[in-house]
Amino acid sequence: MRSNIKIKLSVAGVILLGAFGYLAFAGMQKGWVYFVGVDQFMGDQQYATSQARIRLHGKVATEGFDSSAAALSAKFNLAGAAHQLPVVYRGAIPDMFQAGRDVVVEGHRDDAGVFQADVLMTKCASKYEPGSPHAAKAEKQS
Amino acid sequence: MMTAGVGDLSLGLAILLAMGAVLMAIASARFESDVLLGVGRKLLVAFAAAVSISVAALAVAMINCDLRLEYVAHYSEKALPIGYKLAALWAGQEGSILLWAWLLAVMCAAMVVARRNYLKGSEGAAVVITLAVVCGFFAALLLFAANPFKPIAIVPQDGHGLNPFLQDPAMIAHPPVLFLGYAGFTIPFALLIGALVANRRDNEWLAGARRWIIASWLFLTAGIILGAQWAYVELGWGGYWAWDPVENASLLPWLTGTALMHSVMAQQHRGMFKRWNASLIILSFVLCIFGTYLTRSGVIQSVHAFGESAIGTFFLTFMVIIVLASGILMFVRRGALTSEHELEGLVAREGAFLATNVLLVGMMVVTLVGTIFPIISRAVSGHEVTVNQSFYNKVVGPMGMLLVALMALGPMLVYGGDAAKRLARGLIVPALIALVVTAFAFFRGLHNGWALLATAIAALGAACVFADLLTQIAHHLRNGENPINAIVHIIDGNHRRYGGQLAHVGMLMILVGIVGSSLFNQKENFELKENQTAQIGGFTLRFEKLEVVQQANFVGYQALVNVTDRDGGVSTLRPQIRKYDKAEQNNSEVAIQSSWRGDLYLTLAGFENDVAGIQAIVNPLVGWIWIGGIVMAAGAVLCLLPRLIPLRVPQPLKARAIPKMAKVNLKSA
Repeated sequence: MRSNIKIKLSVAGVILLGAFGYLAFAGMQKGWVYFVGVDQFMGDQQYATSQARIRLHGKVATEGFDSSAAALSAKFNLAGAAHQLPVVYRGAIPDMFQAGRDVVVEGHRDDAGVFQADVLMTKCASKYEPGSPHAAKAEKQS
Repeated sequence: MMTAGVGDLSLGLAILLAMGAVLMAIASARFESDVLLGVGRKLLVAFAAAVSISVAALAVAMINCDLRLEYVAHYSEKALPIGYKLAALWAGQEGSILLWAWLLAVMCAAMVVARRNYLKGSEGAAVVITLAVVCGFFAALLLFAANPFKPIAIVPQDGHGLNPFLQDPAMIAHPPVLFLGYAGFTIPFALLIGALVANRRDNEWLAGARRWIIASWLFLTAGIILGAQWAYVELGWGGYWAWDPVENASLLPWLTGTALMHSVMAQQHRGMFKRWNASLIILSFVLCIFGTYLTRSGVIQSVHAFGESAIGTFFLTFMVIIVLASGILMFVRRGALTSEHELEGLVAREGAFLATNVLLVGMMVVTLVGTIFPIISRAVSGHEVTVNQSFYNKVVGPMGMLLVALMALGPMLVYGGDAAKRLARGLIVPALIALVVTAFAFFRGLHNGWALLATAIAALGAACVFADLLTQIAHHLRNGENPINAIVHIIDGNHRRYGGQLAHVGMLMILVGIVGSSLFNQKENFELKENQTAQIGGFTLRFEKLEVVQQANFVGYQALVNVTDRDGGVSTLRPQIRKYDKAEQNNSEVAIQSSWRGDLYLTLAGFENDVAGIQAIVNPLVGWIWIGGIVMAAGAVLCLLPRLIPLRVPQPLKARAIPKMAKVNLKSA
């Protein structure tokens, strides 16, 4: 009787763990994206022709900034220390979005070399200080 | 500057008091003196008083908008409404840690006062030491790494103001409630350390710990729901949960805390799962600290994390110490942690607790790994990899569904050997009801597999709860009681059981809300001229005009949108764009029309001349999440309430017997 329970328990455990493992694996396949800075994305050879989905961080450049909240789209250059990448984003514009801000975008590069983003996140600092620590951070990382 | 000086000074004093409490408790164990331990306890109460003075000092500085303090200058402004001035106390890093420390101190003080007769000998000393060390850690953190009383170099004309996102009622309540939950898990942790040090083999100490576990869980639940509600009404993208690191940080201890609440029952009644429970108590506590670390240290890129700072190292060191020390203690005392019963069968209450625990801890591990995946991947491969929402939805989602399915069977499960037979018998009627409801939903046009599964689970769960209650009522009715009386007596007779079931019903409602709003939401963007109409999900929207409203610290531009719903009801929604005086950018204020069937959620995305860009989202059943959250919290409150109606006992004894009865009853739940 006793060992019977142990066997049942082990079998149930193995099935459950296997199912979770499979779930996690399958989830990882679709759900993971590389997260790099603009400079690395533009400078590193391995991303040079890549059109895979990726997440990038950088600063919104002042030149070429065109955002229309009413039209729900934004065109801007995502800038690092050395490189710039043209980005087209479609969707609701976050309130904090503007030139000079640190943002995270997710999407892929199209044939023309323009980054088509469908996720746009602005870093929301709890306090706003001109020249906040985030600005310093972007330079540090790049 | 007077108040700031007082606040600073009392923080310093607080550290001394915590150290004094540790020393007194050590001395009491060394000299076996309960008098010394009493002094240690009183020093903990004094600690709470000292931190309270600090909080009061900061509150005064906040209300007076004392711009000589850096913290006030950064998070407040003169024109801020008084309520938000006070809420700005916990808007930033330093203030929120002060709040954490204060809530912790007050709870510790309440605990050592309430349980003064219990805290004796080496066990009591270990409990006091543990509490004092955690309290002292936070006081030291405040004084040396995150001091809210730091004076500013140049006193500004006005403050930076409070982040518009935080100017929302849910945001006033969310942090304190969540922190109450976080801080609360310190107490079961301290009680566990006490029991381990004293090498206790009985499960008596657990009864006290269990109340704190339920209370902390209650606050954690309420805090998470409030946070989700805030995200929903304030962030403007129509969702309430984005698997952001900050959100995950609060979910992690909730998952282990939920597991703990269930497995603790098996230890109380059957002396099982002792090692597991001890691990869960430690894990929940560490995850609460970890959550604070994650959100405060800037280690993970998050949409709404606080800026990075030096306090990360403090937290990391503290967590390592806790895990190592309690791990070693558990190993040394492994003899006291052996199970008194073996598992008799899988299809019994203890088996269900086990499965529940495995699922909850599994969900916690997946969420944790996903959250810190950027760190792991950077360390392993040098590339930073993040996982996005689809990962969590695909992995945690199905696990959660399985968990809720198991939960639905809850009321039908008993302890011991013949549970399977009784489950099969009890399940016939609820299963039929679930089948009928699901078939009905199918023929009404619900064809999504996940949605049908959720419908079946929710119907089964609700049917099980009611079937169980009805069986009990029928039993009472046969004894000639009137029905109302019977219900009151049944529920009052077993708060833990029915509180638990109420919480389960709340969870089922949340399931309905999550499935409805995430599978069937519709989102459309309209550019409307005045008096132009648009249609979405059975609603007809007509943009009337744009208005300007002037408030104390912002100017709002609002679109008047005339809404006609499915049943022909007419109302007006006013989504706004606010331009706060102190903010660099605009902040949109959504307008929501809610009913039990779902929400119409309008955001004014922008406007040019007479054209308004309006984002409309129809979120079916989303309100069930908020109501479900309230029901869940009510369940936990019911669990914590003492018995309301005294049992019928002989008259002279009655007055004294009530508290005793209440106690006995808590254990038998």
